[in-house]
Amino acid sequence: MRINLKATFNSGARGRWIVLAAMLAAGAWLARADDAAIRYEASHESMGTVFTVAVYGRDQAFLSEVVNEVFEEIDRLDEQMSNYKPESELSVINREAAQHEMIVEPRLFGLIQFSLRASQESGGAFDITVGPLMKRWGFFRGQGRLPSPAEISQVLNAVGYQHVYLVPERRGLRFDVSGVEIDLGGIAKGYAVDQAVEILRSNGIMGALVSSGTSSIYALGSPPGERGWKVTVRDPFEAGKAADVFRLQNFALSTSGNYEKSFKIGSKTYCHIMDPHTGWPVENMLSTVVVAPTGTESEALTKIFFVGGVEKSRPYLASHPNALAVFYQPGERPQTFKRTVLRSKSFQLPSDSLAEFEK
Amino acid sequence: MQKEQDVTRREFLKTAAAVAAATTLPSAGAPAILSAQSLSNPVRYGVIGTGTEGCTLLRFLTTIPEGRCIATCDIYPPNLKKGVETIGTNPETYEDYRKMLERKDLDAVLIATPLNLHAQMVLDALSAGKQVFVEKTMYFKEEEGDQIRKASAEHPKQVLQVGLQRRSSLLYQVGMEMIRKGALGKIMFVRAQWHRNNNWRRPVPDPKYERLINWRMYKEYSGGLLAELASHQVDVANWAIGSEPVSVVATGGIDYWKDGRETCDNVQAIYEYPGGQKLLWSSILYNAHLEFDEQIMGDRGTLIITLGKGMYYREAVAKVSSSNSKENWWAGATVTSLAPQEGIPIFPERGANGEIGFVDREVRYAKRWLASMGIYSYEEPHDPWWTEMYNFMLSVRDGKPVIAPLEIGVADARGVIYGNRAVETGQKVFWPKAQPLKET
Ligand SMILES: NC(=O)c1ccc[n+]([C@@H]2O[C@H](COP(=O)([O-])OP(=O)(O)OC[C@H]3O[C@@H](n4cnc5c(N)ncnc54)[C@H](O)[C@@H]3O)[C@@H](O)[C@H]2O)c1
Repeated sequence: MRINLKATFNSGARGRWIVLAAMLAAGAWLARADDAAIRYEASHESMGTVFTVAVYGRDQAFLSEVVNEVFEEIDRLDEQMSNYKPESELSVINREAAQHEMIVEPRLFGLIQFSLRASQESGGAFDITVGPLMKRWGFFRGQGRLPSPAEISQVLNAVGYQHVYLVPERRGLRFDVSGVEIDLGGIAKGYAVDQAVEILRSNGIMGALVSSGTSSIYALGSPPGERGWKVTVRDPFEAGKAADVFRLQNFALSTSGNYEKSFKIGSKTYCHIMDPHTGWPVENMLSTVVVAPTGTESEALTKIFFVGGVEKSRPYLASHPNALAVFYQPGERPQTFKRTVLRSKSFQLPSDSLAEFEK
Repeated sequence: MQKEQDVTRREFLKTAAAVAAATTLPSAGAPAILSAQSLSNPVRYGVIGTGTEGCTLLRFLTTIPEGRCIATCDIYPPNLKKGVETIGTNPETYEDYRKMLERKDLDAVLIATPLNLHAQMVLDALSAGKQVFVEKTMYFKEEEGDQIRKASAEHPKQVLQVGLQRRSSLLYQVGMEMIRKGALGKIMFVRAQWHRNNNWRRPVPDPKYERLINWRMYKEYSGGLLAELASHQVDVANWAIGSEPVSVVATGGIDYWKDGRETCDNVQAIYEYPGGQKLLWSSILYNAHLEFDEQIMGDRGTLIITLGKGMYYREAVAKVSSSNSKENWWAGATVTSLAPQEGIPIFPERGANGEIGFVDREVRYAKRWLASMGIYSYEEPHDPWWTEMYNFMLSVRDGKPVIAPLEIGVADARGVIYGNRAVETGQKVFWPKAQPLKET
């Protein structure tokens, strides 16, 4: 059975399909690629992850050129937005913006602006200035450590999106205290996926999937003769086990999970997603999945919901359209989870968007 | 997605193991323990030139009972003595190799003299009815190639083997099998270097021996770095690409060790092959950081290989398939890193009968993993030098195929000779006619 998301959704029911589609007229929403199409898939390492693009089309040489262009663009974004590379534009901003105002390249400015808005709207659950905190917890060196409360409160002085001031007329940016660092690691991969999709679309690609490894996936059109791209979400406890299956067309899906990076001290496991308010890793959430129209949005939302939890996310979804969220929380017995599905109140989407979810 | 990558990687390891298992390799031979007992009908051989390399060969020959050293020859008494001591079989000694060749009871000779002497000694040995092993580089002057070919054709029953011991290395054979099976894709580039940081001289007790001992420094006897070092690596490139080159450009000079030597202390050469493949070769005597290895590059992978060590690196390549493949993507699967960055060690191993049991396979994976982390290092079952000598004895005694036969030696020598011509003339040198190499 399928349920249109616009209809009432009963999260307690079993074996349901949730269909998020503006129009269900037979086949109208399926962008069909030619049956004679070939499939071309390539991977590329960038931004500390592996991007994979699968495209359908007729001409292998053309497809490979387009995909190479995508990878080159992703590398350009990495050069610009990495804070591991001392010469990236972002690193320069982090070094200098406390001393004087910086003029920022338009796309980077746009992404920072989007991020700050997401911070405001989420009451700071999503925050691009959380980097120094992550460093204290040792996540950048790959070795977790437990910082002292004094250390945390000292670092928190320079953590907070309120410390970043923007002057949109001239794309100006300034920090109001020193020690502030912008880290786009929680959103840049989703943004890169969107830029990749832009390039694919502008080259007339009708069916493609772009994945940024662990974080975000965008499904452009559908594989030939199929209804959306099948995307399986892993079980929070076991990588090879499926928790849920989605079918997506012209939708992005992002995940955040404590399985990505975590460490154990004593019997306690700390995950890599920080609550910017407390300075402590988020507890009581295993993973969240968000389906939204762009990778930038879904990637930001997945963190917002992970940090905010189910209850705080309800009002956000009530006031923001076009998103579906699945929360996976620890179940009553060990190694089990309970699942909560929330969706936006309203959907304003093009007719060819499709997100089906089978649980 | 990650699952898929993992599978591919695992599949690859399986393939590499299977490749190692499936190669048709010459028998690795009897264990060294047998050496004490002598076989009833050993090959009776003599060695001409018992200097550095002659004694290396003799050392390995002490553990090969299929042959017995009955004669050695050298014009430098200390080396003659050293040779006799090394083999320990009380061989008869000669100063004039021609006298040695007159011996009717001598089946085979091994030639390890300075390069300028190789061709004449090969010709004399063949016409004296002897089976011949000659050190690389096979010959010194262009015209000697045809002379040796002619002599060899006139004595078809006599073995002629060249001392390119990489051909005898199980590790290299596994590497070449990987190439043949497509693990590297289309081979388009080989980069090789032999870098040292010393003057490449040998100590001379009395100045009158300078030219005899340091023959490598003088053009009258030596082809310099190309003959002594590139010869091994040009042969590897020829082997990997399956052809000899069609042209070479090169430069070099005596720019650092200006001590009266005549051969270059640095050479850089680019060889081009019939399919546009290139070998970029360099040798310097004033920095040893890179040491020596061969980096064989195809559009699907890279093999970095030298004696005792081989690493395989996969390229991140696109997959092309028909459109009816089923899509199933995984979200949130953790991707650590792409395979190509991690090199995979290749192993000079194969299972008995080509079949590997479960435990063997697991042990092999574990070893690979440990080796990739530098914790474990592996060894060939035999030193390639040993295998080379053993193979020579079996070729002589039982007619086993010769590992590095005439044409491989000729192709190699041409690479050296034309490379040197390119250095000397500053001109691009073209091969008279490129010849496809026969697989061995
Ligand atoms: N396969 C390898 O890895 C390898 C390694 C080293 C040398 N080699 C080759 O071995 C050959 C010898 O090189 P080496 O380094 O041992 O040089 P070397 O100078 O140490 O030895 C050459 C020996 O030949 C002797 N000799 C010279 N003229 C002679 C003659 N007319 N009759 C008999 N003996 C004579 C010399 O006295 C000397 O003892 C060269 O062709 C070299 O390229 C091969």
